[in-house]
Amino acid sequence: MQIQRVVRDLVTSKRNFWLSAKSLRVVEDAVGNLEVALDPIGTKPGDFVVTIGISAARIAAGNPKITTDLTIGGIIDHWDEERWRT
Amino acid sequence: MKICRVEGTLVATARISGLQNRRLLVVKERGSAGKQVAVDPVGCKPGDWVIAVGSSAARDAAGSKDYPSDLTIVGIIDYWDEATAQAGSS
Repeated sequence: MQIQRVVRDLVTSKRNFWLSAKSLRVVEDAVGNLEVALDPIGTKPGDFVVTIGISAARIAAGNPKITTDLTIGGIIDHWDEERWRT
Repeated sequence: MKICRVEGTLVATARISGLQNRRLLVVKERGSAGKQVAVDPVGCKPGDWVIAVGSSAARDAAGSKDYPSDLTIVGIIDYWDEATAQAGSS
């Protein structure tokens, strides 16, 4: 699992059926790479989150049929930028 | 399996129900700079050298096939000397 920060919301109108009606977020990692993660909890921009990858991402999404490889698993209570970057 | 060092615990109150109340730890893989988060069913303390499994084995190692983990700690290394390990690998 990775520690990432939510950058913004992502809107895609045309989607794969199993991805329909799911919230998506753009997340960045410590070096600034952007990725898209599925958000089952409801995060806001600036939140530090734990993201779950690979096959566990599909289970974390609540249904193994959902086609995702990155799902947000939780919002970190206390985390700061300095600890994240080093 | 990866050799990692435990940096500390991670508190995440708002989490998906699938993660239950398991302990999450911030770990640093040996030889890499980035931090990762692992599920800890063993009970480690900061500074411990541990072995962690990834991919679908991480789900099984966390206790059930439905547990959403992609990195799970499976054991604490009794003795690990970073200096001699580096000398041996080169």
